Amino acid sequence: MDIFITGYGVISAIGKNVEENFSSLTQERTAIKQGLKSYTSKFKVGEIGLSNDALKAEFDLKTDGSRTALLGMVAAKEAFKNHSHFDTLRTGLISGTSVGGMDISEVEYRKQMAGEEPNFKQYFHHPSGTTSEQIAAELGITGFVNTISTACSSAANAIMIGARLIRSGQLDRVVVGGTDSLTQFTIFGFRSLMIFDDEWCKPFDNSRKGLNLGEGAGYIVLESQKSLETTGKIALAKLTGWSNASDAYHQTASSPDGDGAILSMNQALKQAELEPKDINYVNAHGTATPNNDLSESKAFINVFNGKVPPFSSTKSYTGHTLAASGGIESVFAILSIQNNILFPNLNHTSPIEETGLIPIKNIQKNTEVTHVLSNSFGFGGNNSTLIFSKI
Amino acid sequence: MYYIHKIASITHQDSFIQKDVNDSLVEIAEDTVLISPDYKKYVLPASLRRLSPILRMAVAAAKECQEAITIPFEAISVGTALGCLTDTEKFLNVINTVEGDILSPTAFIQSTHNTIAGLISLELKNHSYNMTHTQNNLSLEMALIDSMLCCDEGKDFVLLGVADEAIDFLNKLKPIVLPENSIVTSGTTFFALSKKKSKSEIGFLACRSIIKAKEIEMEIELFLQELKIESKEIDRIYTNQNSLDLPKEMVVNYEAYSGLYFTSNAFGVHMANDWLIKEAKKYALIVNSGCNNSLGLILLKNDKAQN
Repeated sequence: MDIFITGYGVISAIGKNVEENFSSLTQERTAIKQGLKSYTSKFKVGEIGLSNDALKAEFDLKTDGSRTALLGMVAAKEAFKNHSHFDTLRTGLISGTSVGGMDISEVEYRKQMAGEEPNFKQYFHHPSGTTSEQIAAELGITGFVNTISTACSSAANAIMIGARLIRSGQLDRVVVGGTDSLTQFTIFGFRSLMIFDDEWCKPFDNSRKGLNLGEGAGYIVLESQKSLETTGKIALAKLTGWSNASDAYHQTASSPDGDGAILSMNQALKQAELEPKDINYVNAHGTATPNNDLSESKAFINVFNGKVPPFSSTKSYTGHTLAASGGIESVFAILSIQNNILFPNLNHTSPIEETGLIPIKNIQKNTEVTHVLSNSFGFGGNNSTLIFSKI
Repeated sequence: MYYIHKIASITHQDSFIQKDVNDSLVEIAEDTVLISPDYKKYVLPASLRRLSPILRMAVAAAKECQEAITIPFEAISVGTALGCLTDTEKFLNVINTVEGDILSPTAFIQSTHNTIAGLISLELKNHSYNMTHTQNNLSLEMALIDSMLCCDEGKDFVLLGVADEAIDFLNKLKPIVLPENSIVTSGTTFFALSKKKSKSEIGFLACRSIIKAKEIEMEIELFLQELKIESKEIDRIYTNQNSLDLPKEMVVNYEAYSGLYFTSNAFGVHMANDWLIKEAKKYALIVNSGCNNSLGLILLKNDKAQN
């Protein structure tokens, strides 16, 4: 059964809608810079320069929520704009997030530690599930609502589960993706892991030091054939492959040879009934940590039998947006297919010694893009792969 | 049908590795504590020291399920409403008190929701599908729906589980965020599921999650109607709701035994499963009603029962 994509929406440091993101990507313009907040100012981050109030005003958001929820509403609304509600269609929302309402909770918790009067009501916004309920409320979706929390693969997994629920006939149409805001909690967390690069991250470069964090949200709308007949929507692309597999190697690090990544990519190709040679572009997980990029590169060599297709990490533009990354990068994958464009990997000078793989370094236009493979790997060895295909 | 081949619960009841979990139930009280097994049987002592209560109990329950079926699970689907609260709070304290650049990452690493399912995959050396669902009080339903889907997709045995842990801080959220008279507790329940018939022949027949439920009794009627089951066929209802308009003798409040955590309906399933075995009854319905009018309905069926 075909799974059609009929809408997309994104907000990230490089733009507050699909058009702005596309424009930054094609102009090879990163938005990673020195942070603006007290806890981001020491680091280079992909921060969205709009306050919560500015987000509510600019995007006319009616529902209150954490910054994670607000960013989710912006991108999900863009994906779902021009979509109507139909009584005959079972419509759902599945959203990935890792921090949920932590941006609010951490402020309240700090207040309390400092002996100030806490506002306990604010903790209503904390649960990750609540962020999805708030996004669903903003969209007017009252059917199936679910939240996936598998760290950096959350959005990819949300998309996969949406596709499976459509295929099994439990849903007709579903808004899927993910959202995460920058929080002190995650900034300090990744600092404690000592995997930040103080400069601009260099995915797949031999001298890469680590990642830059980012924030944002990305969603797509999936529909069945039956749903298309009701909505009359024109599909932008299809979701043809998906898979999730476990590395079962370490709580945070990827296995040296990318075992989980190999499983996940192979299974997604099988699901899509494609050969490795059919893939025209790989949007890599590519966090720019020494560990991920080596392990993912080795997995590429294994899966593609040495003939690795053009690949890049767009995290060099947006920063690593954690649970949102799979959603944002799915939008980029669809843009690549729609426009026959391959987006370059920024800040690359020398290939990783062990693999010699060189990512796309300059924008490639007018190249036929039929199938794009997108990777998202999370903490705990949670590896997910999605494959998008031209209609 | 998605047959239950094993259930393992660690709760404030003496529920772990019991023939019938209903035999030793006592009503939950303020001073109740989590009844933990000897975790050293399940996790190496060196690793055990770093693990918070939610991780310890989930790994132990998961391993009990693995032991029961012997072949590796082909999918792992976990639900948690609030995730790893002990480590989340610990790391919040660290970031607000520790000066300088050197922070211990352990609490951060173990604060994410998918630490539970991730650690289980590590401990079981399991490379299969690994998912973490977190939808407030409907987290069991979400993990169950995914597990059923995995079985339908041809996966042989699926490990389904839920876990939530209490921290003292939650008591501060009464009565604004949490109900005033609630007793906040911890608990975990794991299931080995398969479409293959289990010895008990009891399984999950259907599950429904409703974000904005109308009248509960009406939603139950609709749910059963679609399954072509009459409400009079239901032998017992396990619920956390006291105000249901149903005959009192057929209703059990599971929360009176589990205490309050947002995946405690899984313990209701455990109670129902053991009751269906003992009484050789056919149907038990688990009615999980949450704030914001959310509603979860889970129907258990016993194939061995005649009526």
